[in-house]
Amino acid sequence: MLLREVEYARPKTVEEAIELLAANDGARALAGGQTLINVMKARAASPDVLVDLQDLDELRGITETGSGGLEIGPMTTYAELASDAAGARSILGEVASSIADVQVRNRGTIGGNVCSNDPTNHFPPLLVAMNASFTIQGGEGERTVGADEFFLGVYMTAAGPGEVLTKITIPPGGQDGFAAVTIGRDGTAIVAAAASLNGGARVAIGCVDAVPVRAREMEEKIGHDFGDDNVRAAASGLGGTLQPPSDVHASSDYRRALAEVLAVRAVVAARERR
Amino acid sequence: MTEVQEPLVVEETETKPGFVGTNVPRKEDKRLVQGQGVFFDDVKRHGMGYVHFVRSPYAHAKVVHVDVSKALELGGVFGTLTGDEVAILTDPFFELSTPPGAHIKDYALAVGRVRHVGDPVAAVVASSRELARDAAELVEVEYEPLPPLTDAEQALEDETLLHDDAGSNVVWSGVFDWGDWDGAKAEADKIVKIDRLHFDRFSSTPLECSGALVEYNRGTGQWTMYCNHQMPGIGAIWMAPALRTGLDKLRFVTQDIGGAFGNKICLHPQFVALCLLARKLNRPVQWTEWRTDQHTANAHGNERIFRDVEVAVKADGTLLGFSCRAIDDCGAFPRYEPLGCIIWAQVTPGCYRWRNIRVDFTQVCTNKSPVSPNRGYSRMQHLWLTERIIDIVANELGLDPVDVRKRNYVRAEDMPYETPNGCVYDSGDYARCLDIALELIGHEGLEAKRRDAESRGKLLGFGIGSTLDSGTNNFGQSTLLNPELQFSGNNEVATVKLDIFGEIVVTLGTVPQGQGHETTAAQVVADILGCSPDDVHVRAGHDSYWNSHAGFSGTYASQFAVTGLGAVKGATERLAEEIKRVAAGVFGAEPADIELAEGQARLAANPEAAIPFMGIGAIVNANNAILPEDVRDVTLNCRYVYVPPFQLPDKERKFGNLTLTYATQVHAALVEVDPETGVYDIVDYAAVDDCGKRIHPQIVEGQVHGATAQALGAATHEIFAYDEEGNLLTPNFYDYHVPHALDMPPMRNGYIESASPFTPLGAKGMGEGGGAAIHAICAALQDALRPRGNPLVWRSCNPYHQVWQYLQDGKRGVEVVDA
Amino acid sequence: MSTVGSKRITVTVNGEEVDYDVEARRLLVHFLRDDLDLTGTHVGCDTGNCGACSVLYNGQLVKSCMLLAIQADGATIETVESLSAEEELTPLQQAFSDHHALQCGYCTPGMLMSATALLRANDRPTEEQIRKAIQGNICRCTGYVNIVKAIQAASGQGVEG
Repeated sequence: MLLREVEYARPKTVEEAIELLAANDGARALAGGQTLINVMKARAASPDVLVDLQDLDELRGITETGSGGLEIGPMTTYAELASDAAGARSILGEVASSIADVQVRNRGTIGGNVCSNDPTNHFPPLLVAMNASFTIQGGEGERTVGADEFFLGVYMTAAGPGEVLTKITIPPGGQDGFAAVTIGRDGTAIVAAAASLNGGARVAIGCVDAVPVRAREMEEKIGHDFGDDNVRAAASGLGGTLQPPSDVHASSDYRRALAEVLAVRAVVAARERR
Repeated sequence: MTEVQEPLVVEETETKPGFVGTNVPRKEDKRLVQGQGVFFDDVKRHGMGYVHFVRSPYAHAKVVHVDVSKALELGGVFGTLTGDEVAILTDPFFELSTPPGAHIKDYALAVGRVRHVGDPVAAVVASSRELARDAAELVEVEYEPLPPLTDAEQALEDETLLHDDAGSNVVWSGVFDWGDWDGAKAEADKIVKIDRLHFDRFSSTPLECSGALVEYNRGTGQWTMYCNHQMPGIGAIWMAPALRTGLDKLRFVTQDIGGAFGNKICLHPQFVALCLLARKLNRPVQWTEWRTDQHTANAHGNERIFRDVEVAVKADGTLLGFSCRAIDDCGAFPRYEPLGCIIWAQVTPGCYRWRNIRVDFTQVCTNKSPVSPNRGYSRMQHLWLTERIIDIVANELGLDPVDVRKRNYVRAEDMPYETPNGCVYDSGDYARCLDIALELIGHEGLEAKRRDAESRGKLLGFGIGSTLDSGTNNFGQSTLLNPELQFSGNNEVATVKLDIFGEIVVTLGTVPQGQGHETTAAQVVADILGCSPDDVHVRAGHDSYWNSHAGFSGTYASQFAVTGLGAVKGATERLAEEIKRVAAGVFGAEPADIELAEGQARLAANPEAAIPFMGIGAIVNANNAILPEDVRDVTLNCRYVYVPPFQLPDKERKFGNLTLTYATQVHAALVEVDPETGVYDIVDYAAVDDCGKRIHPQIVEGQVHGATAQALGAATHEIFAYDEEGNLLTPNFYDYHVPHALDMPPMRNGYIESASPFTPLGAKGMGEGGGAAIHAICAALQDALRPRGNPLVWRSCNPYHQVWQYLQDGKRGVEVVDA
Repeated sequence: MSTVGSKRITVTVNGEEVDYDVEARRLLVHFLRDDLDLTGTHVGCDTGNCGACSVLYNGQLVKSCMLLAIQADGATIETVESLSAEEELTPLQQAFSDHHALQCGYCTPGMLMSATALLRANDRPTEEQIRKAIQGNICRCTGYVNIVKAIQAASGQGVEG
C-alpha cells in the first residue's frame, strides 16, 4: 500500500524521456499507472526512478489510415478508445470499454497495457490477432517490431530499458472478434481469445502463457472456411498444445478447455462483425 | 440487465399513528453525504506514531529470533514491540472453551510460534505511514518452518499440532442428539446418504478495515481507543485481564464505522499491542489495517465440513430427521470460538418440522486466519446444510422442491413453535413467503423459460433458499459448551434525558455501523414522548466512557430492534413518567391526567394547560424548589437495561431457548449456465423477508438488499482459498471478487410482517440474513446441471471453474437406500 | 533533466490553490487525507479495486490511491467536500438520503464523485449506464439497489416505488 522511496521526473519531450530512462538503471516509464502504481504499492517491484509521460502529447491521438487501419498513440487512454468506439475499428473501443471501470479507463493507456504485458491484459492478444506493429524509440533511433516479436515475457516487451513505445500501427481490416471469461462483469480475464480475419485467420489466446499464444494449427485448419463446423473442428486439440497456469480462478485443464471454446467464439464474432 | 423491479409486495401489520413504521429521513445521512463522518482513521493527534505490524510469511513456523535493531536505527522510528515483551507484560487472552481448547495461549503478538500467514510477530512505530512500512522491512525474523496444516479433517489426526499447550487441534467436540434418530431411521421408507458437503470460507469484508488510534494517560492509567470495535463490552473483557488493568481503564470511542458484519469483534489482539505501544512510547499510536491484512489475518467466517449426512424420509417426502458429522475449521486461534459450536443450534431444524436430529460436532484449529462471528454466524452454515438436504432429497426422490418444502415447513398455525432442542420460533409464515417468492420470480412460466434457454444453448436452473435470521442471543448457550462459563441471558442499555433547554438526548449501548440506530431510536422516542424525531438528539456512535452500557452491549447478532430499541423504549417510558409527574406536580393533578403531545406535557382534559418540555427541563434542573416534595426525586435522566426473558438452558439435554426472535427469508433464483464454459448468469432473483414489525421499512429493505448481495458474492466468487503451504490465494479485492454494481441480478422484493409476541415493539432483529442467496444459488445450479449427469453441488461457493468441474466429474457422492 | 525525491507541488483542491512539499512516493489519497485534512475521501483496499478513494482530477473520475501526489502538480482536484460547501445538500446528496442509498457511508464519497462525473457527462443515464458508472465503487452494505435509484432520481428520472 505504501511505496518505497523513489525519484521522479516529468519530461517535456520524448527525447527527454528517453534520456532519463537511459541515464537511470532502475527507471521505468509511468503512463496511466493503473498497473505500475499497484506493483509499487505491493512492493513487488520498486523502480528507482519514475519517468512520468503525462506531458508528452505527441504520444496521444488516433489517426485513421484508411480501410480500418489506424495509428494510435500509446498514451491514448481506454476511455479515449471507448469514446472512439464508432470509429474505424470498432473492436478497440468495445474491448477498451470492458476493462475494469471508469476510473481505470480514464487513466489506463493502451501503451501501458501492452508494455506491462500482464498475461491477463486485453490488448496483447487482441493486437497480436490484429497483426499490429510497434514503433519504439531509443537512444539508437527508431525501429518497428511486429506483434509476434513484441511480447517477450511477463512484464517484458521489445521496448527495453532506455526506450519508449511511440506508436501502435494497426493494418487495414475490420473482421475482428474478442471473447473472454472474466472474474465478474468487466473483471480480470481468466482466459481471453482474439481473432482477426483478413484473408486467413489470426487467432491469439491470452492468460495461458507469459505472452499471447498464436493458435497456428487452428489457423491453418481454418484456412478460408470460417463456417461454424470448420472452426469448431479446427479448435479441437488446441487445449492440448497449451501449458496454462493453474491458480485460484482456474485449473490448467479449465484454461485449456476455455481456450478452445473462446477461440471458436472469437473467430465467429470476427466473422459476424459488421 | 433489466429494470429494477417494482412494485414491492408488502403485507404490513396494522400501523398505529406515529413515526415507528414510517421512513423518516436518516439522521446519519447529512454528515456522511458531505464527507463529514468521523471514522477512526480520520482522527489525528499531534505527535502520533504510525504502526506497522511485521507479519509471518509462513503458515506455521517457530519464531527463533526477532531482531529489531536495524529498524530502530532508521530515522523517524519511535520504537518497536516484540512477542517477548508481550509475553512478559501481558497474560494470555481468556479462552471460552473447555480443555483442550482452554489451554490454548493466545497473545497480542506471536510468542515463539506463528500459526498463520500474516500472524503478527512484531510492531514498528514511526513518524509517517511510509516510514513505519520501511522500518518493518528492516526487522529481521528468523523462522524455522513447520508443516502447515490446511485441512480440517487432517487436523483431527493431531499429527501436526498447532498448540502444544492444548495437546490437540480439537478446540471443542460434542454430540447433539435430540428426538430419536434411530427410531426415525426405522420409521423411514428411504435413507438418503450424502458423503460430503462443504461450506466454504469467506467473509463480509467491510469496506473500512479495522484499526485504532490509542492514547495512554500516564497519570490515570487510562487508555482511550478511537476505533471501530463493534462489541466493546467483550473487547474489554478480553483486554483488561490481559493488560492486568481494570475494565474502566479501557475507553472505546467510536463514531462512524464503515461496516463491520462481525469482522470487528475480535480486534483485541491488535488493540492490546497498540495499548502496550502507546504506554511504552508515551505517545498516541495509530494503526490502520490494510485490505490484505484483513483478508489474511483478521477474521474469516466459519468454514464447515459436513460428512456422512443421513436423512430419514418417507416415500411421500415427509422428512423425519437427519444425522451428520460436522467439522468446523476455526483457523489458528479460537477467540470467539467455540461459541459457533452451539450457536447453530438456534436453528437446529432449519425451517422444517423434523424432530429427530443428531449432530456430532468437532471444531479444530488449522493454519488459516482465525474466524470471527461473520454475518449469519454459524446459523448460516447449518441452514445451508438443511437447505441442501431438502434440495438433494427432492432431487434424488424425483420430488418437487416446492412441494417438499411446503410439506415439511413449520406452519404459521404451529407458532410459537418449540424445536427439538427447546428453541422457540416466535412467529412466521414460511409457506406464504414461498408463495410470494414464487410469484415474484414467475415460477409458473418456468418450463417455458427452460426451453427458451435451451434454444440458446444454455441450461436454466431454478432454486429456492429458505432461511432464518435468529436474533437476540441467550448467552447461556455458552454453558452448553463449557459448564464453567458464567454467561447467560442478554442485555442492552439506553439512556434518555431531557435537558434544561428541552433537548431530548439519547445515548445507546449499541455500536452502529450503518444500521440507522440514531434514526430508529429517535422514532421510538418521538412516539412515546409525543414529539418529532427532529427534536430527539441521539449521540452518534458509542463512547464507553459516557454511553451507559452493559456486559453484552454492542451491535451484532441481529438484535438491535429488540434489545437496543427495547432499552430505548424502557428508558423513554421512564422519562415520560417523570415528565408527567413534574407536570402533575405543577398543575396539582395526577400523572394519569397528563398527556404528552406536540413536545408538551399537558392536562388531557384541558390541553391549554401545557408546559413545553423546555419548561419541564428548566424546573427540574434550575427551579426545583417550586416542586412538591414527593416529586423532587425526578432527575429527567433515565437509564433502562432491557433484559430479554431467558432462562438457563438444560446442560444435560442441551435444551432450552437460545434466541428470542426468528426473522424469515425465502429467496428464489433463476440461473442460466453456459455448459461449454461453466459461466452462469443469475437472470432473475426474488427475496421475501419477514422480520415482524418494521420500525423503518426503508432500513429493513436496505438490509435485505445488502445481505442478499453479500450472500450472492459468497455463492459465486467470494472464497478464502488456501494453497497447500497455507498461503491465502485471495488476499485482496483483485482476486477476492465481491459483487460490483454490474454483477447484481434484477432484484424483486416482497415483505410480510409476522409480529413477534416476545418483543417490546413486535419487531424482530434482522440484518444478518441467513445466507438465503447461497442456498438458492446452490439449488439453482443443481437444477440446471441435472440433465448433464446430475452432479452433486456440494460446495457453498461455486465459481465458474467449479461449475465446469461438476460437468466434467459428474461427481455424485449421494445414494438412496431402503430404510 | 534531473530527478527529484520530493517536490513543492501546487494543486488546486476544491477551488483553493495549495502549495505543499510532498515526497515523490506519497499517494494522492494520503496527501488529501493526511496532509490536507480532507478526510471525506476514504481508503478501502490496497490494490486500487474498491473506489472509496475516487475524486475528480482535471474533471475526470480517478482513484486517488492510484496516483502520486507529485503527478498532480498543476492539477485541479475535486473531492466530496466540494459538493456542498454550504450547509444545504445538493440534489444528488439529497437523493442519496431520500432513497437510503447509504448505510455505513464509507463508500458514499466515492459513489457521489462517480455519480457527479456521470451526471456531468450524461444527464439522463439508463440503469445500465448508471451501473457502469459506479462499477468501480464497491459497496458492501446496500447491494447497489438504492444507489441506482438515487442516481436515477437525481437525474430527474422518475423512480417508481
